[in-house]
Amino acid sequence: MKNFSNKYIFLYITALVTVVALMLTMVSLGLKPLREANQKVEKAQQILKAAGYGETAKKQALALFDQVTTRQDKNGQEHYRIRCADGSMGQVIYVKGKGLWGPIWGYIILAEDNNTIKGVVFDHKSETPGLGARITEETFQQSFCGKKIKDEEGHFVSVRILPKGKEPTVTEEHRVDAISGATLTSKGVDEMMGQLIINN
Amino acid sequence: MKSYLGPLNKENPILTQTLGVCSALAVTAQLKPAVVMAVSVTLVCAVANLIISLIRNTIPPRIRIIVQLLVVSSLVIMVDQLLQAFFYDISKMLSVFVGLIITNCIIMGRLEGFALSHKPGASLLDGLMNGLGYGLVLVVVAVFRELLGSGTLWNHQIIPSSFYEAGYLNNGLMILPPMALILVGALVWIQQATRKNTAK
Repeated sequence: MKNFSNKYIFLYITALVTVVALMLTMVSLGLKPLREANQKVEKAQQILKAAGYGETAKKQALALFDQVTTRQDKNGQEHYRIRCADGSMGQVIYVKGKGLWGPIWGYIILAEDNNTIKGVVFDHKSETPGLGARITEETFQQSFCGKKIKDEEGHFVSVRILPKGKEPTVTEEHRVDAISGATLTSKGVDEMMGQLIINN
Repeated sequence: MKSYLGPLNKENPILTQTLGVCSALAVTAQLKPAVVMAVSVTLVCAVANLIISLIRNTIPPRIRIIVQLLVVSSLVIMVDQLLQAFFYDISKMLSVFVGLIITNCIIMGRLEGFALSHKPGASLLDGLMNGLGYGLVLVVVAVFRELLGSGTLWNHQIIPSSFYEAGYLNNGLMILPPMALILVGALVWIQQATRKNTAK
């Protein structure tokens, strides 16, 4: 077996890392437009789904999105008003939070009364499939429909995500069952819902 | 030539060497992600084998694992970026498991056990065959799980609706990870049983 000097080893690994880094940068930059286009379509699909349009095909999503939404930026942030599938108007609120392994985020469609949730859609970067990743499932997201974020006196309560079986601290219209086995991701969603207060 | 076909049956990385089982359980609930995963792993395994074999005489033995990891991880990042650009839905479905190809023991095993000591052509073929052997098991397991668990193949309905009207139900257990383990176990059993008969 050949004997390699320390100098050779250092130079070798430095050269290799530089080459690899350059290649990865090129691939990443080269594919960026395609990735961003995909993300834009996905965002449109998610918001449309939350607004009750169901699954839309990739090709139609952007056109339909432009048709039913109007963009009104608030404080330099993207903000949309949307005509939901049932004809009523709502506003799209973007929320983001922490899951167990990485970021989670979602779009919440709030009705004109600034109180009733018309629909939600959540997504995640790297939650565990079958556990935390279930926040993207229809049944979990459906359970938010019709919930209220304010109590009768108009105080902000949010919609809490609470474990099933425990004595609930808030009334039925302010809570949703957590996903069993995904305590931390459920907590993350709970915190995200709390961000709705900024809009009120 | 015959030894190169080993990974498809007798020397199968999953069935005989029990490597790469984790991802085999995770991505086989449906056929489509399984095929994409199989193609990705085959690609990474073949190209990594080729690269390592090409530079095998320049690699200082003391840092060979680092060099191998560097090559494998940059290839995996490239595959991930390509999936995000061209197969966005599937890349979301595979989520963390694309990144986890880096830790797939099959790839490191082939680099360490074959590519470091063989010529580029032979190494490329060896990587290809081991990737295919892995992919073969993935596809077989995925066909069973998707057909019996969801009644579909490649997202097309296979089991006719008249079956469902007659009381047929999808096997919910099939889409859960434990069933993948049982299926892989069954395949190992079949393979071991038939091997004994032919070997002697």
